[in-house]
Amino acid sequence: MNNNKTTRALLGTGALALAGLVTLPAQAADAERIIRDRCLSCHTETGEAATPFSRISEQRKTPEGWMMTISRMQQQRGLVISPEEKRAVVKYLADNQGLAPSETAGLRYLLEKEPNVVESFDQLLQETCVRCHSGARIALQRRTEDEWKNLIHFHMGQFPTAELHAGARDRAWFDIALTNVAPKLAKDYPFNSDAWNSWQKVIKKDLTGGWAMHGYVPGKGTFDASLHATKTANDTYALVLEGHYADGTPLAGKGRAVVYAGYEWRASLTIDGVKVRQVLAASADGNSLEGRMFERDDEIIGGSVKAVKGTAITAVTPSYIKRGERKLLTISGNNLKGNVKLGSGLKLLNVVSRDANRVVVLAEASKNAAVGSNTVKVGSVSAQGALAVYDTVARVEITPSDSIARIGGAGGPIPKQKSAYRAVGYAAGADGKPGTEDDLRLGYMPAAWTLKPFDEIAEHDNDIKYAGTIDKDGIFTPGDAGLNPERKMSTNNVGNLSVVGTVVDGGNSVQGEAHLLVTVQKFVKPVIE
Amino acid sequence: MKLTKIFKHAVLASTMGAAAMLAGCHNATTVAESAPATINGMKAGGHEYILTVTRPNQLHIVDTETNQLVRTCDVPGVFGNGGIAMSPDGRIAYVMTNKWEDIYGFDITNCEIKFSAKQSYSNVQVKSFISMAVSADGKELYTVQNPVRKLTDRFETMEPRLAVFNTADGLNAKPARTFPVDRRITKIGSMQNGEVILGGGDLKAIDPKTGKVRMLKALQNWDRAPDKWVPPDAFAMHTMGEHVGEFIMPYFTIRWNGAPGDESKADFLWGHVRIDTKTGEVESIETVPFEFIVFNWVTDPNDKDILYGSFNQLSKHNVKTGETVKVQPMDHTYYNINMTGDGKTIYIGGTSSDISIHDAETLEKIGSIQLTGDMSTADLRLARLK
Repeated sequence: MNNNKTTRALLGTGALALAGLVTLPAQAADAERIIRDRCLSCHTETGEAATPFSRISEQRKTPEGWMMTISRMQQQRGLVISPEEKRAVVKYLADNQGLAPSETAGLRYLLEKEPNVVESFDQLLQETCVRCHSGARIALQRRTEDEWKNLIHFHMGQFPTAELHAGARDRAWFDIALTNVAPKLAKDYPFNSDAWNSWQKVIKKDLTGGWAMHGYVPGKGTFDASLHATKTANDTYALVLEGHYADGTPLAGKGRAVVYAGYEWRASLTIDGVKVRQVLAASADGNSLEGRMFERDDEIIGGSVKAVKGTAITAVTPSYIKRGERKLLTISGNNLKGNVKLGSGLKLLNVVSRDANRVVVLAEASKNAAVGSNTVKVGSVSAQGALAVYDTVARVEITPSDSIARIGGAGGPIPKQKSAYRAVGYAAGADGKPGTEDDLRLGYMPAAWTLKPFDEIAEHDNDIKYAGTIDKDGIFTPGDAGLNPERKMSTNNVGNLSVVGTVVDGGNSVQGEAHLLVTVQKFVKPVIE
Repeated sequence: MKLTKIFKHAVLASTMGAAAMLAGCHNATTVAESAPATINGMKAGGHEYILTVTRPNQLHIVDTETNQLVRTCDVPGVFGNGGIAMSPDGRIAYVMTNKWEDIYGFDITNCEIKFSAKQSYSNVQVKSFISMAVSADGKELYTVQNPVRKLTDRFETMEPRLAVFNTADGLNAKPARTFPVDRRITKIGSMQNGEVILGGGDLKAIDPKTGKVRMLKALQNWDRAPDKWVPPDAFAMHTMGEHVGEFIMPYFTIRWNGAPGDESKADFLWGHVRIDTKTGEVESIETVPFEFIVFNWVTDPNDKDILYGSFNQLSKHNVKTGETVKVQPMDHTYYNINMTGDGKTIYIGGTSSDISIHDAETLEKIGSIQLTGDMSTADLRLARLK
């Protein structure tokens, strides 16, 4: 039996090496064959054309979701499958039993590995499920009611103590999950949906071509780059990325992208020697890619990226100018041709440099320019509200406002989990009062970074000495893992801190604060949290 | 009670006579001479030992007189929860192992395995959470089984049940009887009347002969106004109370003195249910302020109003008045606590690899026992070797 599986796995590898040469139906047929060969020693054929394989055919998931399922089958259920076969099955299932763009909207932070997102799900789900894992992990799946019920039974076998945790043992957890939660999930996240049916009918756009990408990397700043995608096989692209950070430092990288379900862009690149991942969503018109790019080995070090293919502006950097100030502004985008217009009260003194992706101008705001957000135009293309004109920075918000970092390293197997911050400036708006609805968002501003104890206990326990340090770029690095005999009860280098960002505006210093909890390592790291 | 010299002699003589009779066909003279001195070199006659389990998977037996480790037995399988249940003669320690699935009964005087049971069978995975108890006569072992049937492509959660094993069945024992019970039962205990206490959302007792269940004390289903009281939450992790013949289970609750949810006017309280395993009498009160985290209470044998708890502190409380009598900071977190039958010495274990020994009067640390691995969630049980 095992020998058979190995032989098949090897044959599978050979067949897939040629995958680039075969057509889409052939790939699908191949994936179905792999499912029959690899999965049907446990799963069964139902005889139903619409749902041919027991359990498998009554669920829809993201590429990461299917990857996680197959990995669990390998690790815990004895599935033998080659990496090539696994990729083919993930691709097939994510394409044919995936989620529509509207079904992942608002939940993409989980796939993008965005740290420090505070979720809010309804109370039943929050108390029954979200006390252990993210709510998005549930909301990024679609199942029939029977399948949601099977998932509850799976929890009882796989995590038998789930019903004994705090928040579970004080109620009939299993009964609540089975009789209340499963039907609700079947209604909220149904297997059959109009969104998915419609999306399957949409003809998906080819993403080949030149893209203008704008993004942010903690510690390095914003960047502009051109991204060239060359199709190498169905839904597979070779990538070349070239550009500059805001300070002029060049960046260059190469990699590969696979597109799942017609829009889920997953790319692996090596940029200046660092392995990075892109988790992006392509728009239905095939003209933009949006999401997050992060380091493979340090997911915290990442930021939002946006790429455009047609004529478009991706960013104006900086996104603010003070009344009476003269400064350099960079307009990033694609096919940037024609006159630059910055809006009323702003004078364009000089075009310092320009090409199709980047226009650098010297601008001046008049002393009595109106406070508000301006639309920037280059030729026929415009970016609404891309440039704020302000009088004074009235308040500073630190993002993320609530965050967690985790001790690590010190010879242990789990690396430190850092935390990265940015300062967002606001003008007071028409009412002159900061913190009100009419505050004008100016965008990310340079800040000086310090730490302080969050409360009296943190001060008493001297958390500031042990929990970690923050650098000039707002990146917090936590302390070493392990017991510290210097501390009370030899506790770890945990701490409860405030991150303070100070923005200098003219002669004024404006501060904002964020909460940072430095805690112990996370010992289980799933693909989807 | 004061005994006269003559009466004392009479009592001793009859005890020795009884020992000789119990010895049956063995050499009566030898037994009468040595009893109750030692069994396989271990002090017996009611001598007290503290037992615990450490990672990777060892049962340790500590003499409470010398505070020395007298024996370490290797437990088959991977570490479970470190649960231990003692036979009433203090000789057999039943250890839960292999991720809460298998049970091995060790003769603590020589590490011999006298009993074993693998609870999982065919395609059914069976886990027991803490729940393990031995009948008052030592003839039966009880567990609460939580079975899940693992079908080829899905799991099916089955109804939990009390499993009754005959301890005399020795190795590879199978349940003699099973009876359905509630979900979420963790710690269980035996009463002198033969019933088994089921510690879950509510406290119930089951007759292991008939399966008949009766309510001992409603907790999650208690009959109190929801705008006045929050239903209890019990982290019922370790079974204890053997040193005074009781079953004790702490729980946490909130009393709303103002509007429900108004924490400024609320009392955050520790409550407990305490069952006298001889009489079946049930006590349930909430007096101790929720100032410290504890996983367990242990009763002072000399004053039932005094309880001790430990976690980051060792604390002593009067449950009648709610007064915190004394607090002693600990050098690290300890999950578990127990004490000797004379009420003089407290043992604090769990979590890490050292048992901390304290004077019950002053709470001061008077010693420490370093073990070979972490105790984690393991029990800390008192055995009286008869």
